[in-house]
Amino acid sequence: MGMSSAAVRFEDVVQRFRVIRERPDTLREAFAHFHRRKPRNTYHDFLALKGISFQVPHGMTLGIIGRNGSGKSTLLKIIAGVYRASSGRVEVNGSTAPLIELGAGFHHELTGRENILINGLLLGLSKREVQRLEPSIIEFAEIGEFIDAPVKQYSSGMYMRLAFSVATAVDPDILLVDEILAVGDAAFRVKCFDRIAAFREGGKTIILVSHDTDQIRKFCDRVLVLNNGELVADDSPDNAVEHYEKLIGQPQGPGIPAIQHI
Amino acid sequence: MFELVRDTYRYRELIWALAVKELRVRYKRSVLGFLWALLNPLLMMIILTLVFGSLMRFSIDHYAIFLLSMLLPWTFFSQALSYSVESVVGNAQLLKKVRVPQLVFPIAAVVANIINFLLSLIPLALIIVALRFPLHWTWVYLPIPMAGLFLFTLGTAFFFAAINVFFRDVSHIVQILLSAWFYGSPIIYSLDFIPKKYHLLFRLNPMLYVLNGFRLSIYYGILPTAQSSAMSLACGVAAVAIGFALFRRYQDVFVYYV
Repeated sequence: MGMSSAAVRFEDVVQRFRVIRERPDTLREAFAHFHRRKPRNTYHDFLALKGISFQVPHGMTLGIIGRNGSGKSTLLKIIAGVYRASSGRVEVNGSTAPLIELGAGFHHELTGRENILINGLLLGLSKREVQRLEPSIIEFAEIGEFIDAPVKQYSSGMYMRLAFSVATAVDPDILLVDEILAVGDAAFRVKCFDRIAAFREGGKTIILVSHDTDQIRKFCDRVLVLNNGELVADDSPDNAVEHYEKLIGQPQGPGIPAIQHI
Repeated sequence: MFELVRDTYRYRELIWALAVKELRVRYKRSVLGFLWALLNPLLMMIILTLVFGSLMRFSIDHYAIFLLSMLLPWTFFSQALSYSVESVVGNAQLLKKVRVPQLVFPIAAVVANIINFLLSLIPLALIIVALRFPLHWTWVYLPIPMAGLFLFTLGTAFFFAAINVFFRDVSHIVQILLSAWFYGSPIIYSLDFIPKKYHLLFRLNPMLYVLNGFRLSIYYGILPTAQSSAMSLACGVAAVAIGFALFRRYQDVFVYYV
């Protein structure tokens, strides 16, 4: 095998979730099951990924498309280290930063500035690094003086802008992007894309999950198509998108409408 | 154990930030803010002192201080546990999205309460002075029972935070357990009140050893024996060893259950 130049390599990766019917969430239920003593088939295994293999060379922008529930987000979470694959080999060479559902670590009562610190630390920065990056994070997010107000007073747009700004300030080797580019107003979206483009030019690896085939075509060097946990295409953006559109049986419209909040 | 020390050091900035966040959120939106960390125990102690100092006369001299010397560390233990038991489940959204070292959550909950506890020693000293009770030199010994107490709390926190991921009743059970444990430990009374034949039973309670040093140093003004200090630290280390072993064993699957 040797030392690979791949940023990410999956070999026959399976992710199994145990879907438990009536999971004994409370002790009473656990006792009840224990008493009955027959381990009734209260769960079944659900394969979110059924043996996926691919690799992403350093510096590539990889797109992942597929219908809801096809395993896209699961795949991204395995790369991010949130899930541990049930079987197969996963190799991730380099630091990763997730742009997965931004603002997960934000606390509503805390100010923007306080949240920048906590989120930055959660994403693996040191306190000194966060402090060094803080001015540029605030500037990029266009939050202005609201930075010292609790984030619960922010509009959704401001919230998302701040979250994006923190997450991308981390400067990872591998950037994981999950469906976030439908946030904010048009002007800010352009800024987001510019920043992602800058990542690309800086030779970083980007893995982008999206429903928006235009975005995928515009940004990606290569695209994976997932369907029911299986890899059905690993191809050029045009071919992959075509495959995907055939899969969903209808040409995709102009992507998911941007959600705008004021 | 080594892993625990290494990771605590590695994530010290994150742990500290989360602990400060916890306190900030607790005191946010209140006019007096952080002052409550001092005022709250002070007011509680004044009430207790009034009740036990003038209304009810116990055969124990300066009962209020007798009580407070153990009630403060107990309150710390009980609050830290109540917070930490929910600490993993409460951060579910985060765990599902970012890879975070799960152990920072119970540790941060305990650290936040340590800060609170240390602050509450200030009003205690004030009350002692106000009551003209001697402020014994043995206070300087307090870091040793504190080490035992903090370790014991941390171990218990890991233990219950982990089980609570799988059985949500644990947070309710912990409340009941705490209240039983409170009355079962010689906090509001002295072990001397208990008939000798039950002493053996009381000696099975680790809290006895963990809290003992506080009353000896603050109220009696005597140093605990080396043996007693060793017992307190041993209870702390044992609790951490058991609690962290359990937490570590299951932390990788937390994300599927939260």
